[in-house]
Amino acid sequence: MKKLLALSLALVMVFGLSTTALAQSTISFSWWGGDARHEATIKAVDAFEAKNPDIAVSDEYSAWSGWEEKMGQRFASNSAPDLNQINWNWITAFSSDGSKFVDLNTLSDIIDLSQFEKSGLDACTVAGKLQGLPVSMTGRIFYWNKAAFEKAGIGVPASHAELMAAGQVFKDKLGEDYYPLVLGTYDRMILMVFYLESVYGKDWVVENKLNYTKDEIAAGLNFIKEMEDGHVIPTLMKLTGDGADSLDKNNNWMDGHYGGIFEWDSAAGKFQKALNEDQEFVVGEHFSDWGEYQGGYAKVSMALAISETAQDKEAAAKLLNFLLNEEEGVALMESQRGIPLSKKANEYLAANKLLDPIVAEANAKVLSWVRFNLDPLFESNELKADETGVYAQVMANLSYGEVDVDGAADMLIEGVNSVLGN
Amino acid sequence: MSLQQKASRALLSRGAKKLDSGRIGFLYVLPWLLGFLFFKLYPFASSLYYSFTDMHLFNGISRWGFFNFENIFTSGQIIKSFTVTFKYVLVTVPLKLVTALFIAYILNFRIKGVTYFRTGYYVPSILGGSVAIAVLWKALFRNEGLVNAMLAVLGIKGPSWLSDPQYALFIISLLRIWQFGSSMVIFLAALKGVPEDLYEASTIDGATSRRQFFSITLPLISPVIFYNLVTQLVQAFQEFNGPYIITKGGPLNSTRLVSMIIYDQGIKNYKMGLSSALAWVLFIILMLLTLVAFKSQKHWVYYSDEMQGRGKK
Repeated sequence: MKKLLALSLALVMVFGLSTTALAQSTISFSWWGGDARHEATIKAVDAFEAKNPDIAVSDEYSAWSGWEEKMGQRFASNSAPDLNQINWNWITAFSSDGSKFVDLNTLSDIIDLSQFEKSGLDACTVAGKLQGLPVSMTGRIFYWNKAAFEKAGIGVPASHAELMAAGQVFKDKLGEDYYPLVLGTYDRMILMVFYLESVYGKDWVVENKLNYTKDEIAAGLNFIKEMEDGHVIPTLMKLTGDGADSLDKNNNWMDGHYGGIFEWDSAAGKFQKALNEDQEFVVGEHFSDWGEYQGGYAKVSMALAISETAQDKEAAAKLLNFLLNEEEGVALMESQRGIPLSKKANEYLAANKLLDPIVAEANAKVLSWVRFNLDPLFESNELKADETGVYAQVMANLSYGEVDVDGAADMLIEGVNSVLGN
Repeated sequence: MSLQQKASRALLSRGAKKLDSGRIGFLYVLPWLLGFLFFKLYPFASSLYYSFTDMHLFNGISRWGFFNFENIFTSGQIIKSFTVTFKYVLVTVPLKLVTALFIAYILNFRIKGVTYFRTGYYVPSILGGSVAIAVLWKALFRNEGLVNAMLAVLGIKGPSWLSDPQYALFIISLLRIWQFGSSMVIFLAALKGVPEDLYEASTIDGATSRRQFFSITLPLISPVIFYNLVTQLVQAFQEFNGPYIITKGGPLNSTRLVSMIIYDQGIKNYKMGLSSALAWVLFIILMLLTLVAFKSQKHWVYYSDEMQGRGKK
């Protein structure tokens, strides 16, 4: 009797497991971001599972810190999740030969590619394969804490001259620890490139060659140094000493000691949220007094890509399309990854007032201003990594007074050329 | 003997015929052997091979040679990293051992509540290497952290501990020295093993406490000092967590230890060839220093059996 019972239980279990296995395809989906993005994405994934009961999705998500290193190892060892939120430069960094990501053109019967502009798709096409679907375009812009400027008795700066003047006003009226702007090492590098493009009207890198002379780069570094000397931005010693992992976690940003940032338009939400209640977050303008050109670039902020190792590529494609093109998914994802490039998604969010007004304003300003192109290697980890990257080393040495602008220019040229393979 | 016992005995003797004791022994060690081959020897040999290549995680290998080692000995940043690592080891190992021995010596006295003290002093070495403590350390020493707040109460403006190259390595070293608990416990056990009669005899001979410490205690616990020295040396050279979390190697590379460069090159920049070469250089340095330590033993380490042997002669 006992044997019969055990046998029956075993049979029922095997049957149950096998039917589950047969009925469900499990795919994995990875992304990085803050809490708001996690919450929105999890809701969207739940809605997808409800709509597609034959597909189960396992989530892998975290903050950005350390994420690129982790995912780099996963892609190198062919153990990456099936669907991935990827940084734009990962396509060239991990899959320059097209070996890591699926060509999404082959899944165009599931993914509605017609919702995307050709330029966006071209930006993600490497080795003749559409390796990712761009989620949004992003660029850098100033954000100001209006309350901090009001406290100093001035308005938010609309030009470089006003910003430089604000440095002294902050120091005199508010104190030594107050600055109208704060820039980390990578922010300094991007701002310098924006400035150089405004002055000289050319891309930073062209056909894998650094497009600026030593004197021009020295002028750019001097532009940064002058801001530091003029009490416009804190020194890197001061900023590092704050002990915060990122600017949005820095008390001096939260309470108005630092009056502005130069950030991605898509990052507005987390910086706005970080401010204390008595502070006011506003989108700034690009400065037209740097030079005669509209310096700056926009780039694909991130893309969704399907790993070549994915067992069920169709299921991953369904999820991708649901998140970027289908109303239900789009409504839940909101603008947590910037202003969507998908026409359908954009129209739906705008019509239903689901776009974050600050992000939308910043994105519109960025896209209408910038005129230059970004080389994917600009974001190579060897160049941009915190502390260890070439940009961080150059900016730190300059800020700490270890080298002058000429020495820093030499360091930067050598580092960039090394990554470009020259 | 029951039928069941008879059957099992028959099975055993049949099994024993098939597997002699040597084979059984081999079966016992097989799991360890497989683990050693796949998880130790293979990566060890691979890294040696990669160190002579430009192995890149995504681009593979395109050339072979000694260029990684040339790079290591000519790159200013890497040489600085080795210098910083030596400084770190030279500061932390002796200070940690001295602190551990000092506290162990005190805790060896019959003090009220001594077990609580022992636990209290041991706790940091359990927590010390953790991410949470490193984060706490960072919070303590940031510009507006607890340390500077306390200094401000005394009317002193504290420095930028984490961002001034003058102090950053000191702060990182302090975290390691603070984790003296495990060495302390080993010292405490050694101190308890020193025979009481030696102290009694020397007291009768008029030896002071200081003389007793240097002439009895230290020589008798010297094997343990040697053990702690070698293990601490190896661990200090491999330190990673503290500086990685607290300063990320900055400011100006003043806290960038070799282990961090190995990580950066291999994991961040995907240059496994260079990373492997760095790991081998570190390994060779460690081997040489350990060898020196072992060779130096005969001048300062006293083993009780040797002493007895000398006595007999």
